[in-house]
Amino acid sequence: MPASAPLPNPFPEGERGKTFTVGWLYPDLMNIYGDRGNILTLLKRAEWRGYETRLLQLGRGSAQQMDEVDVFFFGGGQDREQALVYEDLLEFKQAPLERAVVQGAAVLAVCGGYQLLGHYYQTAEGERFPGVGMIDVRTEAGKKRFIGDVVVESEIPALMPETLVGFENHSGRTFLGPKAKPLGKVRVGFGNNGSDKTEGCLQGTVLGTYLHGSLLPKNPHLADYLIRSALIRRGVDELSPLDDAVELAAHERILQRAQHQ
Amino acid sequence: MGVTRRGSLRKSAAVLAGKATGALSRISRRGGGTTLPGDVARAIDPRVLAKLSQDLTYGSIVITGTNGKTTTARMVSWLLEGAGHRIVSNRAGANLIFGATAAALDLAGADGRLRADWGVFEIDEASLPKAVEELQPKATLVLNLFRDQLDRYGELESIAKKIESALRSLPEQSRAILNADDPRVAEIGLGLTRPPLWFGLDDTTVAARELPHAADARTCPRCGASLRFDAVYVGHDGVYTCPNGDFARPTPDLTATNIKLDGFDRFAAQITFPPSGGGNGSGAEAGTAADSIPVEVPLGGLYNVYNVLAAFAAATSAGLEPAYIAERLKNFSAVFGRQERMDFRGRHLVLVLSKNPAGFNETLRTAVDLAHGTCFLIGLNDRKADGTDVSWIWDVDFEQLKGKVRVVVPAGNRAHDLAVRLKYAGVQAEPPETDPGRALDLLIKVTNDGDTAHLLCTYTAMLELRAELVRRGWAKPYWET
Repeated sequence: MPASAPLPNPFPEGERGKTFTVGWLYPDLMNIYGDRGNILTLLKRAEWRGYETRLLQLGRGSAQQMDEVDVFFFGGGQDREQALVYEDLLEFKQAPLERAVVQGAAVLAVCGGYQLLGHYYQTAEGERFPGVGMIDVRTEAGKKRFIGDVVVESEIPALMPETLVGFENHSGRTFLGPKAKPLGKVRVGFGNNGSDKTEGCLQGTVLGTYLHGSLLPKNPHLADYLIRSALIRRGVDELSPLDDAVELAAHERILQRAQHQ
Repeated sequence: MGVTRRGSLRKSAAVLAGKATGALSRISRRGGGTTLPGDVARAIDPRVLAKLSQDLTYGSIVITGTNGKTTTARMVSWLLEGAGHRIVSNRAGANLIFGATAAALDLAGADGRLRADWGVFEIDEASLPKAVEELQPKATLVLNLFRDQLDRYGELESIAKKIESALRSLPEQSRAILNADDPRVAEIGLGLTRPPLWFGLDDTTVAARELPHAADARTCPRCGASLRFDAVYVGHDGVYTCPNGDFARPTPDLTATNIKLDGFDRFAAQITFPPSGGGNGSGAEAGTAADSIPVEVPLGGLYNVYNVLAAFAAATSAGLEPAYIAERLKNFSAVFGRQERMDFRGRHLVLVLSKNPAGFNETLRTAVDLAHGTCFLIGLNDRKADGTDVSWIWDVDFEQLKGKVRVVVPAGNRAHDLAVRLKYAGVQAEPPETDPGRALDLLIKVTNDGDTAHLLCTYTAMLELRAELVRRGWAKPYWET
């Protein structure tokens, strides 16, 4: 991420209304694994806490209001769509996205989105498709596709429960550089690359992962972690508690099944 | 001569072994023997299906697509049977090549000969290249290409490529019958050297103006621009065009207009078709005016209008008369588990298979808006046949139920995921119930005598629920229907 001069605060004193904005990058092109679940979870959990919520759909072309976004979501797409996205990302979105992150916005990038935010994706033939390099990860094509339930022990401090559950479906092998910390340790499934037991990455407020299925509905604690990381810049330290019995029961079911695998 | 005889001996041995396996598995009640005989016979003679299909008097019709295969195949069989043809068909949703083989074995005589006029096979999208190669079909129908079971298939694109290669290898006298309203299917069809027969809907009164979801968006295969939709019928099927003029919905040869939907009970429509009973993608040629005929079919949902159009196209290309087809369709009954009704302890149950976002959104819309349903049991399983990744439920508009329903029971082995989905859709639901028996008990408990309940389930959730209804003395086992 480029070092940058101080930027104007988009939420000046006195305008700190309880608003919460989700920015969905390429909703029409990068959306193959029920990504809407992640969006809905972020929006509803803010709404239930009295925030006025807004969804900005950031399709191809020039993007406005990206500095108002609290949490960005960047999902997975098919190869054909991913190529279209990369061009647009470089031309229109990368700079405002980086600016927003410097100001403290959070990013959740899943699968294809995760790969595109890294340094590059290298095909089996050795051809390299550059990413935008916002996170210190690189990805290589693998032969076998990793498909199935995943249970991760999160390395986010004080996250309760400690586990994250999801479903993975990817052939890319992602390796973390020194600036990116793993999101967690794989207990069930393959994770980043199937060899080093890591899953996902955390670099500042950018979270990359291979977990979909969708990720946030069954991991409400992670959804709240993202919301809170984005709202810290607005002076919010604590989110009011919600009743998560339904979400955690679904989380627990996956943990129980995983024990029998 | 010797080679031929050995070939036919091998075929006979394969047929006999397969038939014995089928009988055995039915006697032992292990699921009706719908595919195992195919495995056994193919192990002895991998070409057994190719050989058996050569015994057919006229040939095969193959049906593929994400949604509607079973219903359409059953309808084509129904139409041909009514015209006196003997049919071989893989009926029980056994749509891999083994299922097709097992069906052919079932009708083959002890001499190893298949005595039938037409083969009507529903074939899983991924198995189409093999099916086309072995069956050399007279007609191949592609109904639609939606996202379904991503875990098993990988991406939609790889499935589309398989279908494309299968259609390119169709024999000379074979015809592709394709859905013009599906952008991915159209892209495949426009690339074929022989023009396909296109079908599509033409009635904006039943269309939405916008795509239901961002997830349904499609891009132009030539320039990458987002396609513009002038009408949306089901999922991403509709009337579309590229804003740069590089790609557009092909003009359908067969269309359905004047569509009147009546819940899950029936629909009426006007079908317009080329006069020759299926011109070669050139219905407008040489001033030949298209003909049209009204149809009324005891099936609900807009997706079934597509299925009927496809079956109509296949039947006319097999030489059946439109007037006969329209008459026969009046008495078609829905296929096991696709759309079924039964009365159970004073409740009227409507069972509808709903297995992916496009299908689910349409069954929800039909159940809520057209049939005014207020009681629901929704069954979500994640077994192999359902797809082990259940993330697709987030692309289903359960929001449609909000404020309009009285009872929703989340069921199936992923009932807990459904409960979360319903919570975020703002729908008040009962506690999740994974056991099919207890889910039915709960449904009975929270509904009243005389209530109609819609049971929308994925494939194996439907099988389990139905098995429970059979155990309790309702519904016949599926190998007897």
